[in-house]
Order: sequence, then C-alpha cells, then structure tokens
Amino acid sequence: MTISINVNTVERSFDIQPGEVLLDVLRREGYLEVKGSCHSGDCGACTVLLDGRPVASCLILVAKADGHAVTTVRGIGDQAHPHVLQEAFVKNGAVQCGYCVPGAITSAKALLDENPDPTEEEIRLAMDSNYCRCTGYEQQVEAVLDAAAQLRKGDKK
Amino acid sequence: MGRITQYYHATSLEDAFAKAKQLGPVAAYVGGGVELVLRRNPEITTLIDLSHCGLDYIAASREGIEIGSQTTLTTISRSADIRQYAGGSLAWWAGHIAHNNLRDMITVGGVIGRNQPWNDVVPHLVALGAQVRLFDGTERITPLSDYIEAKQPGAIIKGVLLSAGNAGSRGFLWRFTRTQQDISTLHFSALVNCDGKVMTAANLVFAGRPGHAALYPRLSEELVGKSLSHETFARLAEMAPDLVEVGTDLRATGEFRRELVRAAIVNLDEHMTGVAQ
Repeated sequence: MTISINVNTVERSFDIQPGEVLLDVLRREGYLEVKGSCHSGDCGACTVLLDGRPVASCLILVAKADGHAVTTVRGIGDQAHPHVLQEAFVKNGAVQCGYCVPGAITSAKALLDENPDPTEEEIRLAMDSNYCRCTGYEQQVEAVLDAAAQLRKGDKK
Repeated sequence: MGRITQYYHATSLEDAFAKAKQLGPVAAYVGGGVELVLRRNPEITTLIDLSHCGLDYIAASREGIEIGSQTTLTTISRSADIRQYAGGSLAWWAGHIAHNNLRDMITVGGVIGRNQPWNDVVPHLVALGAQVRLFDGTERITPLSDYIEAKQPGAIIKGVLLSAGNAGSRGFLWRFTRTQQDISTLHFSALVNCDGKVMTAANLVFAGRPGHAALYPRLSEELVGKSLSHETFARLAEMAPDLVEVGTDLRATGEFRRELVRAAIVNLDEHMTGVAQ
C-alpha cells in the first residue's frame, strides 16, 4: 500500500507493507539518523516526533502515520544548522557514544516546545523513555536546562 | 508482523464493525497499536484502524466524564477535568506509567481491549467504577469489571465513563515494581468515599497477582461505615493477605505477594489518614 507522510517538512510517499513499523520504513528510505535498538519501545533510541509528540517509532505501525507529520533529529537541526539543543548537548558533555542522542534530543525538543522553562524533574520525566549508558543522564539534563535558558533569551531558535 | 496483508482505515464505527464482522477472527482493531506490534498474532491478517472514527475526546457533563477509546494516556494526564476527578489519581497515573514516548501512543481503549494481566491502567479504572460504552451494531454501557470478566469479541470499545458520583471520592494507587518502569509484581488500586471521618463506600482492586484485575467486595465492605483510623486499616491489613488470591510465578512467590498485599493496605492507610506508620 502507498502512504503519504510529511517527513521533516517534505511530503513523501512510501510503498509499505501493512504490518511494518515506522522505524523500519524511515531507515529503509534513508533516514538513518533514526536509530533502532531494542525494538520493544524500551530504550527511546528510535524516538521521532509524530505531529509534534514523541513516539517510539519501533512500535508505531507506519500506516498509522499516513497523512501525519514526522520529525526526525535531522529535521530539528543538522551539522550546517544545529539547533540550540544539539549545541548544548555538545557543550555540556552530553554526547559520548552518541547512539541515544537523536532520540534524547527529539524528546527534549518536544518538551521545550510545550514548556520553555522546565524544572529538572520535568526534564527527567519527559526524557524517561531515553536510555543512555554513557553519560549517567546528568549532563543531558544540564544540556536541556542550558538550551531552555538560551531559548528563553530569545536570541536562538 | 509479516502476515498482515491489509490495513483498513475505518471511516465510522459502523464501517469498522461491519468490516470486522465480515472478516471474523483474522481482523483486529488498532488502538495505539503497541501491543499488536509487540505481541504479534499470526492469525491476524487485517488491521482495522479506528483513528478516523471520532473516538479521541474527553467530554465532561453532569453525569460524569467520558473518555473516547482512542484517547492517549498523555491526553488523559493533561485533562483538567480528569485532574480534578477522584483526587486526580487517574491523571497522575496516566502521566507516569510506562515511558513518555509510549504514553503518547497508548490509548485507553487499547489497554482495555488487550487487558494484559500486567496492565496497570485497567485496575485503576475498575477501582474508579468505570463503565465502558460498547458498540456492536448498537450502543450499550456495561461496568468495566464485567467487561473484562466476559469480553465480547467483536464489540468496539467506544468510550470509558467515569461517574460524577465518584468525582469527590479519593483514588489511590500503589504498586510494587523493581524499577519505575517495570511491570507490577503486585498492583493495588482503591477508591474510597468519606463523609467526614466515616468511610461510606470503597472499591479495592488487586492485579498483578499475577492474574488480571479483580475487585474484592469483601475487603471493601470491611471499610464501609468504619471510621477513618489506623485501627480500621490495621484490621484490613490483617485479613487482606488471606483473602486476595495470589500466585507464584518467575517474578515472585505467592508468600511474597501476600506480604505485598499487607504493604499495600498500609500505604492506603497512610494515604487516607495522612500519617505515616
């Protein structure tokens, strides 16, 4: 079957199998920034935004995304134009092996879009789906606090 | 899920029900879809998506609150009406269960429809006295506790109703897990209504025993008409471990679960009386 998804603001059509999950289709279509790991919704590596809300792309049937908007971490920012969150992750030492970072930044983006001044507890709750085996989470929380402060100043988008 | 050959976007409840009836046991309704992906049933070849059937709503009225079956846990957790219902226990719980990115996918109808024994949403809804609005050609309303006892194949869960009569009661939830996001070794949910210092109604539900959610009317009766005191809950904590049916599995022994039953009642005592023991 053919479905249409707006991926990172670009309208795309995909030929899919009805039982496929979003993660597999995105990676097959070249969105390799979306990482697969547990394939059971536990680790958060595959997190993308579906209509602005974070979802585990390994568990969502791709047909459910038909007609909706998906944002991957590359849609948030890339090497040429990094988002303030991505810069804050680097600056605060929140990136080590880096495998969890696309999912973590995506979850953090969804939080800051709704809550520009989150508490540490709110950050931890919003990112409770994103496992990180390197940083111990402290630096990631600091990075999100840092990015939120910069965004509130209004000098970055 | 390699055997799925058709994904059908139903345009209405009537359309979805007719399609399911036509296909029989090879068809399954899609709620959030999480369970369908995680636990694939090789017999299922067609998925019927209900997301275009207008079931994503929370409607408050004089009778209470109705939650459309396609409403996600995140939406429930943010509802001002549900935050005020029974002390906000359902809203709090819907905002903390599982992971953030699953709470945006899991729907209330999906968890009721699948009703896995480890589910932590259904027991709390049963304690809150929830009813379900079903559609199988015609609409009817039935208590959730009855629905999960005798699930009727083919019926679509249209919505979940929370009675206005329980809105002022106090909801309580306690579960024992090894980590925050682990499934429950024992789940305990309660709804208690008080008139001053006297309890006038109670629903006590245990799940993860490891069986499905079950109401314990005998334990509930023990609270009705009694004063809100440590003595009342101490008596309940003494009798509950013998009355709650618990079993042994790889997660815990029955003996361990009986101790957890006692601990659950102690926690209810602390919640209701506001004083730690």
